[in-house]
Amino acid sequence: MKRLRGWWLLVALLIALPLLFPGNYYVTVVGASALLHAILAVGLNLLMGYAGQISLGHAAFFGLGAYSSAILTTRYGVNPWLALGAGLVLAGGVAYLIARPVLRLKGHYLAMATLGFGIIVHILLVQTGGLTGGPDGIGGIPTLSLFGWAIDSDARWYGVLAATLLILVLGALNLMDSRSGRALGAIHGAEVAAGMMGIDTAAAKTAVFVLAALTAGLAGSLFAHQQAFVSPDSFNFFVSIELVTMVVLGGIASTWGAILGAVILTFLPELLVVFEDYEVLIFGAILMLIMIFLPQGIVGGLADLWARRQGAAAPTDPPKAGPAPRGLAPASDPVSQDAA
Amino acid sequence: MLLEASGLTKSFGGVTAIADLDFQVPAGLVYAVIGPNGAGKTTLFNLLSGIYRPDEGRLRFAGEDLGGRQPYQIARLGLARTFQNLQIFFNLSVLENVMVGAHARGCQGMVAALLRTPAMRREERQIRAWAWEALDFCGLGELAARPASALPYGALKRLEVARALAAQPRLLLMDEPAAGLNDTETLAMRDLIGRLRDQGITVLLVEHHMGLVMRVSDRILVLDYGSRLAEGTPAEIRANPQVIAAYLGGEVHYAVE
Amino acid sequence: MWDQILQFLLTGITLGSTYALVALGFAIIYNASDVVNLAQGEFVMLGAMSAIALSAGQGLPLPLAILLAVLLTLVVGLMLQRFAIAPAKGITVVGTIIITIGASIFLRGLALLLWGKDIQALPHFSGETPLRWGDLTLLPQSLWVMGGTALLVLGVQLFFNRTLLGKAILACSCNKTAAQLVGINVGRMLLVAYGLSALLGAMAGVLVTPITYTSYDAGIMLGLKGFAAAVLGGMGNPMGAVAGGLLLGLLESLAAGLISSGYKDAIAFIILLLVLFLRPSGLFGRAVSERV
Repeated sequence: MKRLRGWWLLVALLIALPLLFPGNYYVTVVGASALLHAILAVGLNLLMGYAGQISLGHAAFFGLGAYSSAILTTRYGVNPWLALGAGLVLAGGVAYLIARPVLRLKGHYLAMATLGFGIIVHILLVQTGGLTGGPDGIGGIPTLSLFGWAIDSDARWYGVLAATLLILVLGALNLMDSRSGRALGAIHGAEVAAGMMGIDTAAAKTAVFVLAALTAGLAGSLFAHQQAFVSPDSFNFFVSIELVTMVVLGGIASTWGAILGAVILTFLPELLVVFEDYEVLIFGAILMLIMIFLPQGIVGGLADLWARRQGAAAPTDPPKAGPAPRGLAPASDPVSQDAA
Repeated sequence: MLLEASGLTKSFGGVTAIADLDFQVPAGLVYAVIGPNGAGKTTLFNLLSGIYRPDEGRLRFAGEDLGGRQPYQIARLGLARTFQNLQIFFNLSVLENVMVGAHARGCQGMVAALLRTPAMRREERQIRAWAWEALDFCGLGELAARPASALPYGALKRLEVARALAAQPRLLLMDEPAAGLNDTETLAMRDLIGRLRDQGITVLLVEHHMGLVMRVSDRILVLDYGSRLAEGTPAEIRANPQVIAAYLGGEVHYAVE
Repeated sequence: MWDQILQFLLTGITLGSTYALVALGFAIIYNASDVVNLAQGEFVMLGAMSAIALSAGQGLPLPLAILLAVLLTLVVGLMLQRFAIAPAKGITVVGTIIITIGASIFLRGLALLLWGKDIQALPHFSGETPLRWGDLTLLPQSLWVMGGTALLVLGVQLFFNRTLLGKAILACSCNKTAAQLVGINVGRMLLVAYGLSALLGAMAGVLVTPITYTSYDAGIMLGLKGFAAAVLGGMGNPMGAVAGGLLLGLLESLAAGLISSGYKDAIAFIILLLVLFLRPSGLFGRAVSERV
């Protein structure tokens, strides 16, 4: 099936990598971390890329999932799977509660509100020490097991995270090509017009916000069980920014772009370690350079190049099969701006 | 009556855009609203489509009171519109734009989409078929696969119509469909409006192009400072001395061909 | 009890003055270029850190060190505009946020490299003996902060209302094309805006660092607070931003004193969210609506 060609490629790649490089640190350890980031980025891309709603506080939902698992399993002896379910309920529930008032805001106000939400959750994780262990976090989180098969090695975690990512990507691709997905695209493109097409924009935004939060909550629970340890630093403002950067870096509105961005931002610090003291400086410079030279992200930039190379193709033969690339409209685009 | 407005009033910070306006649009007609710039035409459309709330007065559409309804609820009653400042989904393809237009005719939600259930796929095929119908009706079939952002202005104007048409509306509000079009494109738009009426769609038209309005409309409402100056058939409006004096300034050209 | 609250208010105004200056810088850049400059807080850090390095490290007299530090930060502000913002054409809101965060991380990395991880302080300008009225105490440095902020805000106000350059910048922020048509060099105006913002940030840093201390990573939180204050006041309204900054400082100080210092930031942000929920364009912002 043409629509799922990319997905099958991803399946093949994720199976081939550990077989080709068994026990390789960059596959099963850094790779697993990249998979987790990819899950987060694909989820956030549903909100930011499809629906065009910025969130600078996504790490909060990641944290809510992780801490639900950590607290319930270590303090109350709850079954890890139940704890994971509780994490989903908490992340999704909180998202549902704040979605309507938050997503009523636009542009910089929306950015500020989500950022504020992220900071509030982070502070709560640090301050409610009795429950969360404060800045020191919680250790000794039990791992998950599937039908008596404990997920207790790097290779197994790679498998679980890869499977989760594949299912999520399938869902995201399905969504993109559907009535609901197009409704999100319409909200992204021209919200007032979307309303006039009979789309309940507030409900649609709420739904995708909750969906993104559920994904992050799931990633959080998996993260907690995988690492056996959580601390607030894994869920602070910078993590939120990193997630946003993954989505934008790869090429916003493309699930593949989000995955690519996650892989790059996971491997980049590994590579920059050799620069020691200069690491932070170089990381900042790279962020700026990519945004300056590839404002559409890597996938978007490549698609542009490809389209230009194809030149004047036949009018019925678009450069890309399927939906057109969905980029955030540039700031100079009058449609995307609120005129006074 | 398909649409009835009574005592409709809307003002913005002391400036009255629509003042105590009454009018009725019978089903099956092309009903034009004309008036000089600032006469309140676009405000009227925004009131009808629920983007603005009236300060006073009532709006009834197909027997339903529109008071307090959100734009999406009004749209689902069968009222569609096009926009004066293009509101195209430039991030979607032409076909997808029109498929969004058929949104209200479907019912499959996000969960069905994620799982791609058989019912969802069936509905998807149906929506696609509706969208193609609307595209072909507006002569955009060849452009269906293009990104909307790659279309020339004239085609975007027709895309707005196709998108609204895909909703299978009972009433279609068209906000200056001919603005910015050249003579050939204007003629094509006139033809399109005529064919919409033949399909049984009631059209409420705001337009500055007098030739187009006089040719295509069954009835005309003339607004001046948000109030009704005159209402009648094109012939009556053309002969109305008040209209000629106030709006047309005594100088009238109806040439379009 | 009332004495205590009065004390919190004094602390709050001191703190809020810093936020006000950062927020004012935010508003100026936002007005001129539609960019939310999340590196704004780094100007505060850079101003303070370089003043410390020049005075304590190089042995320059404090006033000279401060002057040089402010100029240095100003140059950094100009470079930020020239090399990071200006080359990014057709960028999205998210894109500018990432660029300025990148700049923020870059400057932090630079500070780490130059000055290390230690927390550092500037000497108080007029001694550390607190002034007392009954139970109420106030550091002389707080007066410097408040007075300095008041002067700077007044200066900015005069600059925009009375000088040709200031009016030209306002014209750019209203309508770039029109400004260009009447012969205003928009590019240069943007540089001035970034320079002015950097100057305000550096001054804030120099004024407040004797009380709050600073370190290479102090900028980001200040930047976020400045952003919050600017949003609270209504993006793009400079005096709203100043008011927002003072309000945020007061809220934090009261929250820290009456509730818990650990939660002070959380409380400030919760109130910010509530304000946005009730007034989506901030306290003093004009409601914007899309024209269709």
